[in-house]
Amino acid sequence: MILLGIETAAELVGVALSDAEGPRAGVWVRGERRHAEALAPAIAHVLDQAGVSLPDVGAVAVDVGPGLFTGLRVGIATAQGLAQGLGIGVLAVTSVSVLAREAYDAGWEGPVAAVVDARRGEVFCARFDGPTHETHPPARTDPAALAAELHGDTTLLVVGTGAHRYGGVFAAEGLHVADIREPSPRALVTIAADKLAAGETPVPGAQVRPVYLREADARINWVQR
Amino acid sequence: MNVLGIETSCDETAAAVVDDERVVRSSIVSSQIDLHARYGGVVPEIAGRAHLELLMPVVAEAMSGAGLERPDAVAATYGPGLIGSLLVGLSAAKALAMSWDVPFVGVNHLEGHLFAPVIEEPALEWPLVVLLVSGGHTLLVQATAPGRYRLLGQTLDDAAGEAFDKVARFLGLGYPGGPAIDRAAKEGDPRAFRFPRAMADEGFDFSFSGLKTAVVRTVERDPGASTPDIAASFQDAVVDVLVTKAARAVADVGARSFCLGGGVAANSLLRLRAPEVGVPTYVPSMAMCTDNAAMVAAAGAFRLAHDGPSPLSLSADPNLSLPWTR
Repeated sequence: MILLGIETAAELVGVALSDAEGPRAGVWVRGERRHAEALAPAIAHVLDQAGVSLPDVGAVAVDVGPGLFTGLRVGIATAQGLAQGLGIGVLAVTSVSVLAREAYDAGWEGPVAAVVDARRGEVFCARFDGPTHETHPPARTDPAALAAELHGDTTLLVVGTGAHRYGGVFAAEGLHVADIREPSPRALVTIAADKLAAGETPVPGAQVRPVYLREADARINWVQR
Repeated sequence: MNVLGIETSCDETAAAVVDDERVVRSSIVSSQIDLHARYGGVVPEIAGRAHLELLMPVVAEAMSGAGLERPDAVAATYGPGLIGSLLVGLSAAKALAMSWDVPFVGVNHLEGHLFAPVIEEPALEWPLVVLLVSGGHTLLVQATAPGRYRLLGQTLDDAAGEAFDKVARFLGLGYPGGPAIDRAAKEGDPRAFRFPRAMADEGFDFSFSGLKTAVVRTVERDPGASTPDIAASFQDAVVDVLVTKAARAVADVGARSFCLGGGVAANSLLRLRAPEVGVPTYVPSMAMCTDNAAMVAAAGAFRLAHDGPSPLSLSADPNLSLPWTR
């Protein structure tokens, strides 16, 4: 089955395809938070490069976060639209699992802390001790408190946009931060293909929700109305 | 030509199918009023979250209501409005158009409102003067033909609907403010207080922030003042200015018809007094006053025929203005 993966959880817009032989085409666009402009053309480009037409796609995989709220909504709304229009289902993949997968695909064998920048001085963190084994589900936390909790664990690899934004904080606690920042569309479709192979069924697009992990900021913007 | 329209610019999640620019085959609106009521206004992040949950079911209902498997084009509002809300409808619309292999077209929300009369009152004689009044806008527009617009006047500060919301909140009447003030005013005396009619005798621009301040000062000076009297007097001042300026605009440009549009067009006093402008007047149905996707689909069909499809790279523009004709 051909999978189309959509990655918009960080400042980068990514699209990738995979088939029975694994990931086969992908593009990363430096989004600068202009996800809505970049995403649809990137999908068209990747399909064109791979010689695949949309009706050939069997399911859509999308990063549901945690991450940038607006980016997540652009990615999920796009996945929902494609799925509803094509009459296919969606596979939801978390940003933290994509980040961890990259570490394991690069050959890492120990535990991984996937740390995503949550803005406002906070991070979202989940921990893994294998590509499909999440030991701590994603939660929002203070980077210094997280680093102190992980203090001195040299068996651990720290990855993600939050790991880099607060690189000094993690380094000061003797932690190893790897050069993996934004979740990649390639790792995203790899996880989605594994989920399919493991028997997970894609769900209707309307059922897919972002993992926000933060209450909505209840401020009224009179000017923007 | 069936166009699926999608509207998510503020707090209504809407989808509709319109055939031939004016035949509404389905129109579904899911309002988020209950989600925002406790805050006394639309909260952008809450609106963005709700649109994402509501849009696909609303689209599915509009498509099945029209008995369609796939439309001939997909239109979506790309501005003006709340950026986080606009992006949900815009992104989904592009994806639907790609998956159905049909054209995508971005629609200006304000132009959408100008297509309400095209749908409901096709016999209307042009040129028109349109008074577009909502929570975000107060515009007097001359339309010589569909797509040909000239700005006559606009608000210099608060939009009329924003003044209704703010005054209703100050008076403790709840949200949304328009219907709340309208209801309270029915029990009050519009001549109990004489609130200012800003710039009533000059030009076509509006100002409502002084009126809001006058209401606050009046209540502070006289805490025992009857709320219905305040509401009725406030509403009378707003409608007086709107109708006075609209009538002057109609006479000035020699319009053959006058149209109301936008959420404030649901106000009962404005609907009652609109015909005072002196030419045949179109007052939209209640469903066509508030945000809906039928008007977006109609405007989208027009834009598609005149300008062709929009690029897939089209971005949302929260401050988009009407395309003015030179």
